[in-house]
Amino acid sequence: MHEIALMGDILNIVVRDMEEKSLHQVKKITLLVGDLSNAMPDALRMAFDIYKVDQKDWIHPDATLQIEHESAKAQCIFCNTFYVPDVKIALCPECNMPGGKLIQGETFQIISYEGD
Amino acid sequence: MEIKLNTDVLSDNNAAAMHNRKQFSNTKTLVINVMSSPGAGKTTLLEKTVKALQGKYRIGVIEGDLATQKDADRIRATGAKAVQINTHGGCHLDARMIAKVLPSFDLNQIDILFIENVGNLVCPSGYDLGQSHKIAVLSVPEGNDKIPKYPTMFNRTEMVILNKIDLLPMVDFSVEEAVEDLNGLNPNSRLISLSAKTEEGMSEWIQWIEEAYQKCAVQRL
Repeated sequence: MHEIALMGDILNIVVRDMEEKSLHQVKKITLLVGDLSNAMPDALRMAFDIYKVDQKDWIHPDATLQIEHESAKAQCIFCNTFYVPDVKIALCPECNMPGGKLIQGETFQIISYEGD
Repeated sequence: MEIKLNTDVLSDNNAAAMHNRKQFSNTKTLVINVMSSPGAGKTTLLEKTVKALQGKYRIGVIEGDLATQKDADRIRATGAKAVQINTHGGCHLDARMIAKVLPSFDLNQIDILFIENVGNLVCPSGYDLGQSHKIAVLSVPEGNDKIPKYPTMFNRTEMVILNKIDLLPMVDFSVEEAVEDLNGLNPNSRLISLSAKTEEGMSEWIQWIEEAYQKCAVQRL
């Protein structure tokens, strides 16, 4: 549970960009959160609400946090099958060999923000 | 107006990690980031490891904990240079915290630097510190389910030290099952069984560190 710290990082990146563009207020932030990124969307929303109250000077009171979800995906290096990894991430459900490589699901990005 | 960023949330951390890595590379320092749940035996493992490597290598240790100097004091008792980071509630170390304490070391005088992360099997796995190697410590009383329950930790580390094997007769832990679970999660990871307390199995771990040190010295020639 480090979503408060992660939200702090997110807001730092946004505020830095806003300063460069001489913007004063943020109204919306859109994130992309992978299943295996270790970040919980609900906890991120809660952290955003906490910062919203704390940093009224530049976060609009009705500002929203939109979270887009990236599902986990792996590909087997032996039979090339794409699959949704279970607990045993590397175990291919098709050929049963432990050769799966994660190709999606670890992303944790700020896609965009709306400011003025 | 909408502004596209497409920026990694951890980009500030990753930039700091790259900066640390450059410093370690300049001074040919091998850096090992040691992670585990609380109580797996990281500090005891490091005490014994430092003792085994001392004399041949110059060792430094960074200790990460929420509070107290206890772990750094234990390492200092071995004679090695140790610096404590207190995260005051933070659940992991990040690259900026490491950068802040690096000036406490003369890295030119350190061959091998161990970073003992905050005891936690979740958050530390996501933060690059600039290390050469990331390893996880798992102790047999924690049970077999730790590997499947914390997939990101065991997927992102290249080795698991299975500690406290002197307790195997007393607990229900199957080394075979652990090897199988690890293989299904990360076939490139290796498992070394040892007891830091009795020192059984320590030589395989020490040999791995020495080989890693040689490789890192050769790469930088």
